Amino acid sequence: MTQIELRGVQKFFGAVQVIKDLNLKIADNEFIVLLGQSGCGKTTTLRAIAGLETVDEGDILIDGKPVQHLKAADRDIAMVFQSFSLYPHMSVYENIAFPLRATRKSKSEIDQEVRSVAKTLQITDLLAKKPSALSGGDMQRVAIGRALVRRPKAMLMDEPIGALDAKLREEMRAEIKRLHIKQGSTTIYVTHDQIEAMSLADRIVIMHEGVLQQVGTPDEVYSRPANLFVAQFVGSPVMNVADAAVTEKASAASVTVGDAATGFEFPSTLLSKLNGHAGDGLALGIRPEGVLIRRDAADGFMAVETQIVEPLGSFDIVDLKVGTKMLRARTKSGFVSGPGEKVFARIDPTQAHFFDKASGKSLEVRL
Amino acid sequence: MAAVRTSSEITFNRVAIVAVLLVTIIFLAPIYWIASTAFKPRNLATTIPPTVVFQPEISPFVKLFTKRSQLRSPPSPEEYAAAPWWERVVFDGGEKIVRDGKGQVQWSGYPSRFLNSLIIAITSTVLAVGMGTFTAYGFSRFKVKGEADLLFFILSTRMLPPVVVAIPMFLMYRAVGLNDTHIGLIILYTAFNLSFSVWLMKGFMDEIPKEYEEAALVDGYTRMEAFFKIVLPEAATGIAATAVFCFITAWNEYAFALIMTNRRAQTAPPFIPSQVGSGLPDWTVIAAGTFLFLLPVAIFTFLLRNHLLRGMSFGAIRK
Repeated sequence: MTQIELRGVQKFFGAVQVIKDLNLKIADNEFIVLLGQSGCGKTTTLRAIAGLETVDEGDILIDGKPVQHLKAADRDIAMVFQSFSLYPHMSVYENIAFPLRATRKSKSEIDQEVRSVAKTLQITDLLAKKPSALSGGDMQRVAIGRALVRRPKAMLMDEPIGALDAKLREEMRAEIKRLHIKQGSTTIYVTHDQIEAMSLADRIVIMHEGVLQQVGTPDEVYSRPANLFVAQFVGSPVMNVADAAVTEKASAASVTVGDAATGFEFPSTLLSKLNGHAGDGLALGIRPEGVLIRRDAADGFMAVETQIVEPLGSFDIVDLKVGTKMLRARTKSGFVSGPGEKVFARIDPTQAHFFDKASGKSLEVRL
Repeated sequence: MAAVRTSSEITFNRVAIVAVLLVTIIFLAPIYWIASTAFKPRNLATTIPPTVVFQPEISPFVKLFTKRSQLRSPPSPEEYAAAPWWERVVFDGGEKIVRDGKGQVQWSGYPSRFLNSLIIAITSTVLAVGMGTFTAYGFSRFKVKGEADLLFFILSTRMLPPVVVAIPMFLMYRAVGLNDTHIGLIILYTAFNLSFSVWLMKGFMDEIPKEYEEAALVDGYTRMEAFFKIVLPEAATGIAATAVFCFITAWNEYAFALIMTNRRAQTAPPFIPSQVGSGLPDWTVIAAGTFLFLLPVAIFTFLLRNHLLRGMSFGAIRK
């Protein structure tokens, strides 16, 4: 049973504020992913929870007790580093046993626990090897083993699979998830890879320039981004964002993207929901799968020209020219034969997002 | 897998090998000279041209470790028969070993000087490397105010040729009673080597990823424990390389040893040449003294050779 709470945490490096008033509650057994670009403060947050970094302001609570003045060793938290940080002069066995040797456990107890963790992670045959003889994936397993063996209150992972190649990363991602389901410990995981975040997290915490942007389940973050940053950071291919103007047109709303001659048709309820934001300073966000394409003209579809086609195997990304703007759409692979083709497009109103350009905040308009 | 080599590269390699061999021969020639002279009979030591083939003897070593005097008359057959085998080689060379009133062999000054050298060089090396390692760790891991200035200050102690301060040092040492003491030379050599040790160790410490200690800190260890259990084993290569350099400096130091010591704490370097002046120089004894003096450094370096090789290329090669 471990809850972690951050209350008004602030951290400065010299004059630079890297964490700005961070508040976060993490429930027991929850898998939390801190997601953000490099330099957004996510790793500093993790290190502050671990006790490797002090905080200048605010409280870090583990199970309700403030720990910001406790040393790392006294917080009973385990951490997996991006570089794995396996001690090179020790064998795998010694590496895993190392945290236990800090406790007053007997030799036989330590041996038993090391072997049981090794069995869980299927690294029993590696125990005698030195870290330098291991592959990246195995190093990672050993690093996780070293973190798990003490049965810590919480596991912290700092981009643990960032150094692996793509295929291995996918395997390890599944393994980490399986392990979390099996062992069920409160986990905080830092990554800049939104796919990793989406696939692993119970809740995702998105940070940008030291400020928490949104906390939510992967689905919430994806389908209801709180602001433009989250909208564009989460999801691949990236969400289309364009200046938009909404006008009323024959019992329907029309959304004009950029300086296009005609607008996309939206339900008339849009205008009332926008509540006065219809004019300037409005941005439309639409994910590529929300741009629907047909080959033949149909009601509500606008004629557009394709510019670039990126075949990605399971689907294609097609750039459509709407006025001077490009709108990226996701199509079945091979649906559009090449650039310069005339097709008909429409925006799915249920997938559209509207943002206030000045603040970047979502206007929470759902159709 | 061998890389492709052109014929000009192969030729270049061969020339390079010959050049390296030549340089090695030039460097090793004096050592060969000393080693061979140490085993020569006295009358062959100074022949021109040099004697290359000879019957090796250990008489120079017997003479090195004992006091001896010229034979005025050949030893009586009883005297000769009563002498142990190693004493006979000295008789054969026209000298005899001096015994005290109780018939005990009188030792020369060499063994105690050699021991002094060992005590002083080893202690000062341990101190310089130990303090250097801690200091380097501090500079490498923590934010130190004025770090660059402090490091420059440490380095600046090496900018002056040490002999320049020999006379003030001598006066100071005499004033506090440190001259001709082991502790005096140990302090001096530790001070010489410390700046070097700090700088060298800082380079090695910087190469050890911080994450190792952080992992240990999170695993439930204090920083001190992390230092001893993780950092020190990782820094072993650097420590070995630094220790070799510090040991060689302290072992070979001549000028201060000559000025600051005369008997009790005298080291081997000033003692060996002092034997040249007493009577007709016996080059074989000096060569034997020098030969033995070379051995500890050679052994020390040989034992640490693997660390040294890695130490030399540390930082240049990243796995």
